[in-house]
Amino acid sequence: MGLAVDIVKHNRLKGHEQFSRDKLHASIVAACLSVRTPVGQAESIAHAVSNSVVDWLENKPEVTSQDLREVASKHLESHHPEAAYIYRQYRITI
Amino acid sequence: MDIISSLSILALAGLIHASFQLSVSVLTLVNGHALGAKHSQQRALRLSTSFVVGATIMTLLLLSTLSLILLSVFVYEIPAVAWSAVCGLMFSVGVAIWIFYYRRSEGTSTWVPRPVAAYLTGRTKSTKSSIEAFALGMVSIFGELIFIIAPLLAASMVIINMPASWQLAGIATYTIFSILSLVIVWVSIGSGHRVSKIQKWREQNKYFLQFIAGGGLIVMCFYLYTYEVLSSAVLIGGY
Repeated sequence: MGLAVDIVKHNRLKGHEQFSRDKLHASIVAACLSVRTPVGQAESIAHAVSNSVVDWLENKPEVTSQDLREVASKHLESHHPEAAYIYRQYRITI
Repeated sequence: MDIISSLSILALAGLIHASFQLSVSVLTLVNGHALGAKHSQQRALRLSTSFVVGATIMTLLLLSTLSLILLSVFVYEIPAVAWSAVCGLMFSVGVAIWIFYYRRSEGTSTWVPRPVAAYLTGRTKSTKSSIEAFALGMVSIFGELIFIIAPLLAASMVIINMPASWQLAGIATYTIFSILSLVIVWVSIGSGHRVSKIQKWREQNKYFLQFIAGGGLIVMCFYLYTYEVLSSAVLIGGY
C-alpha cells in the first residue's frame, strides 16, 4: 500500500503532489548511473534508500521536496557517496 | 597593434569567456542525465558533441555579428572614445563578476535567476536528441550574454583593427580559446571520467574561476586603455 504523504514542491510555488516511491527509486537509480555505477548495483542501492525514506515518511502527512531530497541523499551517502553528491547537486549546478 | 599582440589579446579574451560557467554547468548536467537515463556512453558523447558544436557556432555567430556591426559603425578607424567605453564596460563587468557571479551557497549556482536555472535544469533532463543538445548549447552561450558581451566586444574591436587577411584567424583564435572549458569537459566525459569528479572540481575551484574571470577582464581593460587610448593621446600630444 502506498503512503498518503503530500510532497510540497519548491516552497509551495509548484503546489503539492502525492509521494511516489517509484519516482524516488528512479531518481536514485539515475544518480547512481550518472556516476557509472552498474545497473544492478544502482537498483539495489535505490531499493535500500527508498525503504529508508519510506520509513522516515511514516506518520508524516506533509513534507517538502527539499526535505525528501536531503533525507534521501543522507541515506544514499552511506551506500554511494559520489552518487549522493550528484543527487544533492541536482538543483544547485546552474 | 601588431598581429601577435592582437592574437594574444584575442586568446586572453577567449580564455575569459571560457571561464564563465553557465554552458559548462549545462553540459555537465546533460551528461549526467544522459548516463542516468541508461543511455550508452556513445549516446552521451553524441549529445555532448552536439552541445559543444552548438556553443561554438553561437560564439562564432555572436563574434562575427558584433564585428560586422562595429565595422559598419567605425568605417575608417575606431575612435578613442569607443575604446574608452569598451574598457569601462570591461572594468564594470569584471567588478560585477567578482561581486556576484557565484551565489554564496553550496554547489555551483551562478547569478542566473532561479526560474531560468530551473528551466535549464529541466531542459537538460528532457534533452534526448542531438538537435536538442545543439540548441541547448546555443542557448547556454546566449544566456550568459550579459557577461560575455565584454570580452566579445573587446575581441570584435581588436578583430576589425587587424588586416583583413588576419580577421578570420582572429575570429578562430577567440572561438577556439572560448570553448576550451567545454572541450575539456567533453574529453573528460569521453575518456570515462565521472561527472561527480568534474562537478567536485568545479565546486572546489569556483571562487578561483570567478577571480580569474573578473581579474582577466580588468587586466585586459587596463592593457587596452593604455595601448589604444593613452598611447594615442601621447602620440597626438607629442605630434
